Amino acid sequence: MGSGVDVLVATSIRRAGLGLIADVAGSAALLIALTVSCFGQGFSDFTKTIDPLFAGVLAQPGNLSNTIQYAAASANSGDIESAISAYEQLRFYNPRLAATRFQLGVLYYQLGSYDQARGYLQTALQMPDVTPELRQNIEDLLELVDKKLRPDQFSGFAQTGLRYQSNASLGAGAQTVLASGATLNSRFVARPDWNWFGTAGINYVHDFETQTGETFEASVIAYDAQQFSLHQFDIGLIELRAGPRFAVSPGDINGLTVKPYVVATGALLADAPYMGGLGGGLTLHAVVGNVSLDPYGEIVQQRFRNSALYPLASGLSGTLSTAGLQASGPVAFGLGWQSRVAFARASDQFAFDSYRSYVADIWLPWTFYWPTPWAGSARWTVIPTVGVTQWRYDAPDPFVAPFTTAHTTEWRAGLGLEVPIWHKLIFASLVQYRNATSNVAAFSYRDLSVSAGPLVRF
Amino acid sequence: MAGKYKAVALAFAAVLIGGATANAQQVGTATAVNPNSESTPPGGSAIRLTVGSRVVHKERIHTSPTGSVQLLFVDKSTLNIAPNTNLLIDEFVYDPASGSGHMLTKLTQGTLQYIGGKLSHEGAVTITTPAAVIGIRGGIGTVEHNTVEHSTPPGTQAFNQNGWMTITNGAGTIGIRPGFIVTIINWNTPPGQPERITNERVIHYIEYLSSKFTQDGGVPGLKHLDTANFACGIYSTTPCPKPPWLPTNAGENDALQIIIQSTQRATLPTPPPPPVFTDSFVGGK
Repeated sequence: MGSGVDVLVATSIRRAGLGLIADVAGSAALLIALTVSCFGQGFSDFTKTIDPLFAGVLAQPGNLSNTIQYAAASANSGDIESAISAYEQLRFYNPRLAATRFQLGVLYYQLGSYDQARGYLQTALQMPDVTPELRQNIEDLLELVDKKLRPDQFSGFAQTGLRYQSNASLGAGAQTVLASGATLNSRFVARPDWNWFGTAGINYVHDFETQTGETFEASVIAYDAQQFSLHQFDIGLIELRAGPRFAVSPGDINGLTVKPYVVATGALLADAPYMGGLGGGLTLHAVVGNVSLDPYGEIVQQRFRNSALYPLASGLSGTLSTAGLQASGPVAFGLGWQSRVAFARASDQFAFDSYRSYVADIWLPWTFYWPTPWAGSARWTVIPTVGVTQWRYDAPDPFVAPFTTAHTTEWRAGLGLEVPIWHKLIFASLVQYRNATSNVAAFSYRDLSVSAGPLVRF
Repeated sequence: MAGKYKAVALAFAAVLIGGATANAQQVGTATAVNPNSESTPPGGSAIRLTVGSRVVHKERIHTSPTGSVQLLFVDKSTLNIAPNTNLLIDEFVYDPASGSGHMLTKLTQGTLQYIGGKLSHEGAVTITTPAAVIGIRGGIGTVEHNTVEHSTPPGTQAFNQNGWMTITNGAGTIGIRPGFIVTIINWNTPPGQPERITNERVIHYIEYLSSKFTQDGGVPGLKHLDTANFACGIYSTTPCPKPPWLPTNAGENDALQIIIQSTQRATLPTPPPPPVFTDSFVGGK
């Protein structure tokens, strides 16, 4: 028998009139039976069925070793609220420890409770035992918290560097023979080259501070690469997405939100206007457990321009419709995962330019502390990545393979390394290999690229 | 009809049998106690709380101007109770097998912080004050209620720290998101507009809902915390929170997609240009 028994029935009786007692009695008796079955074993028996560390805290809260282990184990397992409870318990025992307050600041940050995180971090700095290393960690996190508490939030990155590609055109080899009998345009066959590149991304979020959590979000990605020799592949690209975000159901602890957005893109190729696109999309955001999910769908009307180098580009003009899912989550001990799967449908001017594509990529960023001669123990990140794209065209290309509809599959694998230099400055490098095979020889290619340069995240 | 009466009789029999031992049913433990803090079990007299004291439902908790308490419940939820507080653990039902049940705490004076456990994830946690009924879903919240003689202004303040908080009284219902606080003057006055909590108020609650610097929560001897066990930190292999890692090659990937497509178009042999009469041709070069 347990407390649940009379509490439950008393509640039922209080809430129901006498005339209704008989109606609820049956269900009450059933609930009683359920509750008794759980609590009938008694408190000591109950504690034998639960996590031993938690049972230890319930039975002997003054056992400091057990409580400290319980706090750490809860945090490591992602049970943030239990970890907060345990560190609060330790703060009761000694409110002057900076480390306890720092841990509470970290945990509240992980929960997204930024006001509370800031309070703990600020008071941690005032504790008498704060060490220089702990102070640095606290100040780093405080900077992030302050950013999160602003109604207008900016984040992003900028990188520049050099890249070598074994096949800068991502084209077929010079010896490739077209099924149509024609020869390849020699300016576009596989050749190695170097380039300078610069890329930047900025995300902006404005919080309207409403109780339903509406925001306005905008992101810009820009990329430019100038080849050392093969200037027909000099490329500049910009993509803008912007729109308001709404909570689907305010109060939903999974935080389901929806964002309609507009998208605008533009590209230069060989220093001439090449492509422009305008469209819109819809994306959702939800958190399930510790996995973040962002499904999306967008339609972009693309217009390509012919030029002396690219006289057939306008045939690519048409509608690009994409549906996909971006997802991310932690694995353990600094290892996370991010993935993207998408299906795209390009309905272009000619059937042989129209295609369906299937894309899947996964990144596994592993972040860890490692000593450096210049910055002491600092945060490194290694990012293995693999991906695949398949293009399935609608019709044979009469100029390339008049009797074969192209099916091309590209596999890619890469390894990124981010080495801390100073504060937000990182040295980032990426080695990536691509191998595309196609039933149309002109669409097969291989490329090994190596890029490196300074990166700033903010 | 006879069946219904039989069911009622069965239910009350179960209550009576259960009630005989219910008073002894432990639903939680006092994990930290600063004097003077007292508890009054149902049907009993006030006793001094100590670390490890059993907490039963229908138990009243009272803290003096220097007293404070932390209670840990079997569903892993926690109440941090500030000085000058009176509350009643009015209902606590928890089925550990399904994680379901409910908890009702009546706060008549003072300040408490609720840290969520299994029950709050089901949206089954309620804190009542004379001015409002506060529902907590998923998270963490601080509730303060002051009577006229103790504070200016009197009434209830509810601060949502995580999850979703619903505040209801005789004049209406509102919901508040994390980081916001609401003042409810009394039961018949609509809850005020949510406001972003000030930093000073947050720090006030942080210090008020735990030991004072000269107290030890009833467990002396914690002089140092070994950072090796931390979830993140200097000596841990796990980094502390940073902006989430995001791929920086999204632009590059899109650019490469354009080059792949443009190359495949441009690789084609350009159709031969139509004959053009040029000066050199005319000149018979």
